[in-house]
Amino acid sequence: MQLTPNEKRVLSALNDLKRSPPAELAAKSDLNPDALMQSAYLLEEKGLSEIQESVTEIYTISEEGKEYARVGLPERQILSYVQSCGEGVTIPELKTRFPPAIVGISMGWLRRKGWAAIADGVVVPAGDAAPDTGADEDTLMMLLEEGVLTESAHETAVKDLIKRKLVDVTEKKLRTIAITEEGEKLSREISQVEETAEIVQLTSDIIRSRRWDNIRAYDIHATVPRTYPVKIHPYQRLIDQMRRILLEMGFTEIKGDVVQSSFWNFDALFQPQDHPAREMQDTFYLNSEAELPEGYEKVRDVHEFGGETGSTGWGGEWSEELSRKEVLRTHTTAITIRYLAEHSDPPKKAFCIDRVYRREAIDPTHTPEFEQLEGVVMDPGVSFANLLGYLVEFYHHIGFKDVRFRPGYFPYTEPSVEAEVYVDSLGWVELGGAGIFREEVTAPLGIKCPVLAWGLGVSRVAMLRLGLRDLRKLYQSDIDWLRESPVGA
Amino acid sequence: MPVITLHYDDLENLTGADRDTILERVRMIGADVERVHDDHVDIEFFPDRPDLYSVEGVARAMRGFLDIETGIPQYAVRESDVEITYDQEIGNIRPFLACAVVKGIKFTQHSIESLMKLQEDLHWGIGRNRSKVSIGVHDLDRVVPPFRYIAADPSYEFVPLDFEVPMSIGDMLKKHPKGVKFAHLLEKFDKYPLILDSEDTVLSFPPIINGTLTRVQDDTENLFIEVTGTDKSVSVALNIVVTAIAERGAEIESVQVCTPETAHITPDLTPKTRSISVGDADALLGLDMSHDEVLQALRRMRFDAAARSDDVIEVVVPAYRADIMHAYDIFEDIAIGHGYDRITPVLPETMTIGEEHPISRMKSSLREIMVGLGFYEVMPFTLTSETVHFEMMQRPQTSDTRGVTRVMHPITREQTMLRTTILPNLLEILSFNQHRELPQRIFEAGEVVSGGRNEVHLAAVAIDAHANFSEIRSVVDSVMCERRAAHDITESNDPAFIDCRCADIIINGESVGVFGEVHPGVILNFGLDQPVIAFEMWGLKV
Repeated sequence: MQLTPNEKRVLSALNDLKRSPPAELAAKSDLNPDALMQSAYLLEEKGLSEIQESVTEIYTISEEGKEYARVGLPERQILSYVQSCGEGVTIPELKTRFPPAIVGISMGWLRRKGWAAIADGVVVPAGDAAPDTGADEDTLMMLLEEGVLTESAHETAVKDLIKRKLVDVTEKKLRTIAITEEGEKLSREISQVEETAEIVQLTSDIIRSRRWDNIRAYDIHATVPRTYPVKIHPYQRLIDQMRRILLEMGFTEIKGDVVQSSFWNFDALFQPQDHPAREMQDTFYLNSEAELPEGYEKVRDVHEFGGETGSTGWGGEWSEELSRKEVLRTHTTAITIRYLAEHSDPPKKAFCIDRVYRREAIDPTHTPEFEQLEGVVMDPGVSFANLLGYLVEFYHHIGFKDVRFRPGYFPYTEPSVEAEVYVDSLGWVELGGAGIFREEVTAPLGIKCPVLAWGLGVSRVAMLRLGLRDLRKLYQSDIDWLRESPVGA
Repeated sequence: MPVITLHYDDLENLTGADRDTILERVRMIGADVERVHDDHVDIEFFPDRPDLYSVEGVARAMRGFLDIETGIPQYAVRESDVEITYDQEIGNIRPFLACAVVKGIKFTQHSIESLMKLQEDLHWGIGRNRSKVSIGVHDLDRVVPPFRYIAADPSYEFVPLDFEVPMSIGDMLKKHPKGVKFAHLLEKFDKYPLILDSEDTVLSFPPIINGTLTRVQDDTENLFIEVTGTDKSVSVALNIVVTAIAERGAEIESVQVCTPETAHITPDLTPKTRSISVGDADALLGLDMSHDEVLQALRRMRFDAAARSDDVIEVVVPAYRADIMHAYDIFEDIAIGHGYDRITPVLPETMTIGEEHPISRMKSSLREIMVGLGFYEVMPFTLTSETVHFEMMQRPQTSDTRGVTRVMHPITREQTMLRTTILPNLLEILSFNQHRELPQRIFEAGEVVSGGRNEVHLAAVAIDAHANFSEIRSVVDSVMCERRAAHDITESNDPAFIDCRCADIIINGESVGVFGEVHPGVILNFGLDQPVIAFEMWGLKV
């Protein structure tokens, strides 16, 4: 039978005492009362001890009782006065000397105790000497001195005192712990084993001397303090997972500057110069300008009249000045399109996961900066069906098994598509847009084959995967959240 | 993007299909169903399809998509004797004009609301908030043609919509709510556009406000519609409006628009034609469609189409379509008509090898080192303010010699610039976590923007009652050692740190970082009250 160290201590103490109230046993076992009782009950469950409960009355002295204990019971006060007068005293006279209540109480008791006779309103003492103190008076004195009594030799006297409201009574449960036969047997066995000392901490000495026979058994279920491993940010872990998936799918990672010209952020993507997304309202503009790249005129032409693409273009006059204005990139497409323009020999598969900026006020689902993922494929034979193929593959890998598509709209892709994934708790959730770059985008930059492109709000996936309601948590992190977020399998 | 309210009874009548069928399929022509109500549904349509900004337009498209009525819709335009002439002067202010008359209208509550909402959405969608296009719809029976489009002095008076007394058009720009809202569109001009009838009654003051006299009422039967603007898109806007009204059975009549030199007839509902190659469409979409399938898809999308050769199909594009600029636009409609849900996703065979970016690789190594040293990673915002970045750090603004990137129109005072260092962000995160158990140790391997270019920095802070210089120096030494970088340190004069308890990190004579005990003034500035140690490194080699 396995006993905890506390249980062993209690059993051993109990074996010495055989029967004991908890306080005594606690002292003997050197445990606090709570720990003692816990062990005692555990021992009882194992049949090693018995806990008996009994109810006892506890007597305490009342305020009035204390007073009489000091000055004597009313009957004794009256008697000693009457005796001092040397003859009988009338009740009315007594009432001038003592409070009438006291006189009233006394008459009955004087008679009952046989200390005096009352005839025709005159109190006549039974003798000259003061009578011996009665059991009631003794009990009262004892209570005054000791405060509490649990049992009394003078039950009737106590009952009288209770009736006279000089003593209060309360009930108390008393527990007694006793050892069983089995307990005694086990205790003996243990004490034999304990003669060779129990090992708590293994030491180098013990190992080298091979004296490890008596290693204390631990309760392997006892609670231990929680330790938190230091780790990378849960959001970074998700970003790294997406990066890994894309690298495994054969995509090359690209990066670029946050500060971009309107040319790369908008114009190269055939975003008309009067497009609402380009307004100060939505985009962070800087008070600086960039040089336009060589060959920018082709982009101008495609905006104005379609250039050589057969498109109608947007019409109107394209402004170089607007195109030079610098902005904080509003999408990672600014990075991917520039990469493709500078590496226009196919095939190319590239991705960019990085921070983008939108002029939006902060609230739980909007932040002025967030991560975006962008993937592009430039390959002579690729088609819209291939784009859907890449999307399904990518979403499967990040854990969304059901993917469906519907038409979408982005200014720089045609055809465009919205991907939706099925999330158990939410149903179909829009998770990213995709399309084939318009020829108005690719042709002026010297790109001669189709470019598949898709984008994804990484922070949206993070909200779904990390179960977040507030995007800000990703950026203004609570350290306890970081401590407690599991790394996962 | 505009959200269109579609009442089921109206939608079902105009489409000829029940609401469940429509709701189930509408997303597949390109729409976001925003909210389904008991008697109507709110749907968001894309900015390239302003012809869907009305229940009439949606019903027209859905009839095709559900194979109820396919091919190009026919709208008859009768000639009318209504004329509008325009002044030479208006050519510099708002030169484009297209007009039409629509007769025999029987307005209902829904149809009048739909027309008003369509106008509003077109002002946004095509009109760029009325700058490019604005539309006026008038009760024709209140005025007497011919009309005139003139440039008038600001003192010209009439009674604007929602007002009872005449007001000068100059005052309207200052006092009328619409005038105040759109005054910026005319700020460059000293004369303003007006449309008048033959008796000098004002129909409208484009792009600001209509006259009150020609306000359209429930019992209005005949309309005069004028679309003015700075761009040729006035025509397509007019076409969208008149065809939408005609969908309910009214009759379109033309107007003769006379400039000083020429005259032309509007609206021009003649469809445009474009030839496309079936081979190109198949290649782009990754499909292998027969001619018939392509023709069927096109007709379903309300085009007319006819094969011209083995490969070439001639597509007839309705005059209300504003988005067909290029063959790819038609290819997308073929894909939609065919059904996105019928396209099988296919992975291509091209073989490529992916490669991680060197900066990402470096950041991963930095993370490994810092996590090993017991620091949690954080990823703060990079937009910050001069207050946090300089003042609270006790650093002068001139300390950034390569240039701070400031945004021109910040939304809040907290976000006026891009960070050039990471430490202020980390101290902010400590201040958010004051109620959490100490010690706290955090780091970021992140990018800052300096002189307009991204640069990788590594920074870390620790807050703890016993944090001290030797602890942070030991951390810095470890990082350097793990990166196999030989470094020296010299006394630093960075005011963010305690003097003589901080150091600059030097590699090859160049300062590449700073570390030490953070100055108590800085600690207090961030609302903290325990010792903080910190380092930041830059110029990190990949």
